[in-house]
Amino acid sequence: MSHDHGHDLPFWRKYIFSVDHKVIGIQYAVTALLFLFLGFSLISIMRYQLAYPGRDIPVIGKLLGEPIVGKTPTGYVLTGDGYNAFGAMHGTIMIFLGVVPLAVGGFGNFVLPLQIGAPDMAFPRLNMASYWAYFSGGVVMLTSFFVPGGAANSGWTSYPPLSDIATTGQTMWLFGMVLLITSSLLGSVNFIVTTVQMRAKGLSFFRLPFFVWAQLVTSFLLLLAFPPLEAAGVLQLMDRLAGTSFFLPSGLVVSGQVQNQLSGGGSPLLWQHLFWFLAHPEVYVLILPALGIVAEVIANNTRKPLWGYKSLVYSTIFLGFMSFLVWAHHMFMTGMGQTLSTFFQATTMIISVPSVIILTCLVISLWGASIRFTVPMLFALAFLPMFAIGGLTGLPLGLTTSDIQLHDTYYVIGHFHYVVAPGTLFALFAGVYYWFPKATGRKMNDFLGKLHFWPSFIFINGVFMPMFFIGMAGVLRRQFDQTEQLHGAAVQGLTVMVSWSAWMLIISQFPFIINFFWSIFRGEKVEANPWQATTLEWSAPSPPPHGNFATPPVVACGPYEYSIPGKEKDFCPQNVALEA
Amino acid sequence: MLAASSFGHYGAWLPPLISVHGAEVDRLIDILHWFMLLLFVGWGIFFVYCLVRFRRRAGQKASYVLPKGKISKYAEVGVALFEVVLLVGFSMPAWAEYRTHPPAKDHRVEIRVIAQQFQWNVHYPGPDGKFGRTAAEFISDANPIGLDDSDPAAADDVQLVNEMHLPTGKDIYVRLTSMDVVHSFSIPTMRVKQDAIPGMEIPVWFKVLEGATTENLDEQMTRTYPIGRVAWDRFRHHVAAKDYADRSGQVILARGGDLGATFRDGKKLLERLRQAGVTELTLRPRNALELVCAQLCGNSHYKMHAQIITHTPQDYEKWLKEQSKPVEFNEDF
Repeated sequence: MSHDHGHDLPFWRKYIFSVDHKVIGIQYAVTALLFLFLGFSLISIMRYQLAYPGRDIPVIGKLLGEPIVGKTPTGYVLTGDGYNAFGAMHGTIMIFLGVVPLAVGGFGNFVLPLQIGAPDMAFPRLNMASYWAYFSGGVVMLTSFFVPGGAANSGWTSYPPLSDIATTGQTMWLFGMVLLITSSLLGSVNFIVTTVQMRAKGLSFFRLPFFVWAQLVTSFLLLLAFPPLEAAGVLQLMDRLAGTSFFLPSGLVVSGQVQNQLSGGGSPLLWQHLFWFLAHPEVYVLILPALGIVAEVIANNTRKPLWGYKSLVYSTIFLGFMSFLVWAHHMFMTGMGQTLSTFFQATTMIISVPSVIILTCLVISLWGASIRFTVPMLFALAFLPMFAIGGLTGLPLGLTTSDIQLHDTYYVIGHFHYVVAPGTLFALFAGVYYWFPKATGRKMNDFLGKLHFWPSFIFINGVFMPMFFIGMAGVLRRQFDQTEQLHGAAVQGLTVMVSWSAWMLIISQFPFIINFFWSIFRGEKVEANPWQATTLEWSAPSPPPHGNFATPPVVACGPYEYSIPGKEKDFCPQNVALEA
Repeated sequence: MLAASSFGHYGAWLPPLISVHGAEVDRLIDILHWFMLLLFVGWGIFFVYCLVRFRRRAGQKASYVLPKGKISKYAEVGVALFEVVLLVGFSMPAWAEYRTHPPAKDHRVEIRVIAQQFQWNVHYPGPDGKFGRTAAEFISDANPIGLDDSDPAAADDVQLVNEMHLPTGKDIYVRLTSMDVVHSFSIPTMRVKQDAIPGMEIPVWFKVLEGATTENLDEQMTRTYPIGRVAWDRFRHHVAAKDYADRSGQVILARGGDLGATFRDGKKLLERLRQAGVTELTLRPRNALELVCAQLCGNSHYKMHAQIITHTPQDYEKWLKEQSKPVEFNEDF
C-alpha cells in the first residue's frame, strides 16, 4: 500500500491511469454521467416512435443509419429491430454503465475512503483495473451498435432462445457484460477490504456514516450475485459460438426451419433463474448507495442526528440478505405452482418491511429539524416520496394474483423507474451537488441547481406517473406501437404525454450540464467544510491531496453530532471530541 | 367517451372484464391501490407538515434529542400485518384456483396453443375430442403446427392462425407451448397471462363469463358519437355500424369500414363526412377481445395478436362442427 507522491507523477499517471481513489472516482462519475445521457437519448428517440407511430423521425432520423432506421418515401423511421436494440441498450446502459458505476464506482470510490479516514483504497491498482475493465466494457457495448445487425436487441434481460439466435450484437453484449461484471467484482472486493481494514482510529462500525454501511452491503451484493450471471453469460456465449445448447430445448423450429443442428436438451428457464438471481440484488445495488447519499444529505441539512441510525443499519443488512431470496417474483408467469409462488410472495412481502423502516427513519428524521433547503437537500427530499411510490407499486407486482394483469406491462416500467430514476437518480444528483465542493474546491451554482431541480421534478413525474395508468389499461412493455391493440389505442393520449414529458426532462438537464462544467472552473470557491458537516471527508482539504489527510484522523464520536445543546456551533466533526 | 359495456370499458384503468376468476384479480388490485393511496396520503401529510413546520427560520433550532413514541413502530407492524392478510387471504386462494386445481378432464374444453414468431397457432381436437399427432417434419405454411394427416385422430382437427374461438360459461383448458422463442399468452380482458416456453407444455385455464359473447359485446360497445367527439384513438379500431353516403348517394364510409389507420387519413375522412352533412357516427370497436404476446419475441412482437371470438356453448359446438373436416373412412381404417 505504498503511495507515490501525486505531484511527482506524469500527467497520464496522475489523471488517466491513476491509482488515486479520488481520480478514479471522478473518472467513474464523469464516464457514468456521459453514459446516463446516452441512455436517455436512446429512449428519447424511442419515445418519438411510441408517441407518433410510423411518423418520420425529424432531423436526426437520417443520421441513425440502417438497420436502426428504415427509409420511407419522405424520410426515416425507426425499425422494429432498431427499437428493440435501443430498448435493450437503454436498459443495459442505464443500469450497468450509468447508475451502478456512478453510485458505487463514482461516489463509493471518491467518498468512502475519505469518510473512513483512509489515505486510499486497500488495493489502488485493483481499483484502477476495475475502472478500466468498466471502460472497456463500455467501449465494447458502444461498438456493438456498428456491427452487422446492430446492437443487442433481446431486451436487457436477454432471454434465450431469442438471445441465442440474435445477431452479432448479442455476442458483443455478452463480452461487454463479462468485462462489466469483472469490474464490479474487483471493485466490491476492494470496498469490503478497505472498509473492514482501513477505518481511522476510533471509527468503530457503529460510528460509520450510513453511506459507508450502504456501500459495504452493496459490495457484498455485487460480490455474491454477479458470479452466477457471469457464469450464465459464458454459457450463453457457448450457445452462440460453440454450438452448445445450455438454454436451447430440443425440437426448436425457427422461421419454419427445424433446428436439427442443435443438440438441444437445454432449458430457457435456467437463464431466467441465473439472470434474476443477479438482477434482483442488483436492484438493491441501485438503491442502497442512493439511500446512503440521502441519509448524509438529510442529516446535514436537518442539522440533527438521523433518527434510528441502528435501525437503518440493521434494516440495510437484512435487506441485503433478503434480496437473494426474492428473484423468482420476476418469473411468476412462467408457470409457477403454489409452493414456489407462496415462498417468493412471502419473501417479497418480508423484504418490504426493512424498506418501510428505512424510509420511516429518514422521514422521522425531519421532525424537530431546522431544514436548510439547499440544492442537494431538494433532491434528497424529492427522493423520499418518489421512492415511496416506487416501493408501494411493487406490492401489486409482488403478489401473484394481481401480477397476472400487471406483469410485463407499463405498470412494471413505472414501478422500477420510480425506484431508480426519480428515486436513485435524484439521490445521485443530490450527491453530485453535495460532494462537488469536496472534489473541486468550488460550489455548484444555486440558481442553476434550482433551475435543474424544479423542471426535473415536474417532468419526471410526467414521464412515469401516467405509466401506471397505461399499464393498468393492459399496454405491454417493449411494444413498438401500442395502437396496434384496442386497449393500447385507448390510452395513446397518455403515451403522447409521457413522450413530451421525457423530451422536456432531457431539456431540463441542460442547466445541470452547464452548471457542472462551468462550476469546475468558475464556481464559487469554498472552504474545506462548506456545508458545516460532521463526517471525516470534510476535515480533509478541498480537493484532498494525494493521501487525503495531513495526519491520520482520530475519531471521537458518532457520524451525525448536530445541534448538541450548549454548544456554540451546531455541528461537531467526528474527529473532534464532544467535550472539547 | 370510450366504447363501454356492462363488462367495463377501455381507458386508463383496467380494461373490460369477461372472465370468472378475473373478478378476484381486480378485487385484489383495487384493495391494494386503496391501501397504497391511504399509506401515501397519510405519510405525505406528515412529510409536508415537517417541511413547513421545521423549515429553517429565525428561532427554529434543531433538536438534538430524537423524538420518541411508538407510532412508527405500530405503523410498520400494521403494514406488515396487512401484507400478510393480502397474501394469505387474497392472493394465495385465488392463485390456487387459477394455477393449482385444473378443471376436471370431462368438464373442460381443451385447446392447444402453439406460439411462434409472430403468430398464434390454435389447435382444436375437433368433435372426437382427440388431438392429432404433430411433428416438426410436417410443418409448412399451410400446416404451421405440423399436423400428421395420417393420424386418424387428426382427421377432424382444426387449426387456426391468429384466431381463437371460445365458448362462454365453460372451463377452458389451454395447453400452451412455443416453437421458437419465449412468448407470453396474454388476454387483458380475461386477466390471463402465461409464458409460452419452448420445450415445455404448460397448461392455463379460465372461464369466459356467461353472456360475454362477441355478438353481445359488439352490440353493447356500439355507440353513436357526435362527429365532433370522434377522437383519433377510434380511427384504427372502430368500424362503421352502417353505411354513410353523401347527398348524391355515393358511399363515403361503408358499414364495416374503418376511419383509416392514421391520424391524417382519419381527419380527412371525418372532414368529408362533415361536408356531406353527417352529424353523428355509429361505431363499434374492431377486435374487442384480443390475445396478445406479453414477452419480447423479436422485431414484430407488437404485431403478434389474435382475434378472440366468444360463442354460446351451442354456437361453439356448431362452429366447431362446421370447421372440422368430414371424417373420411377408408378400408384400412
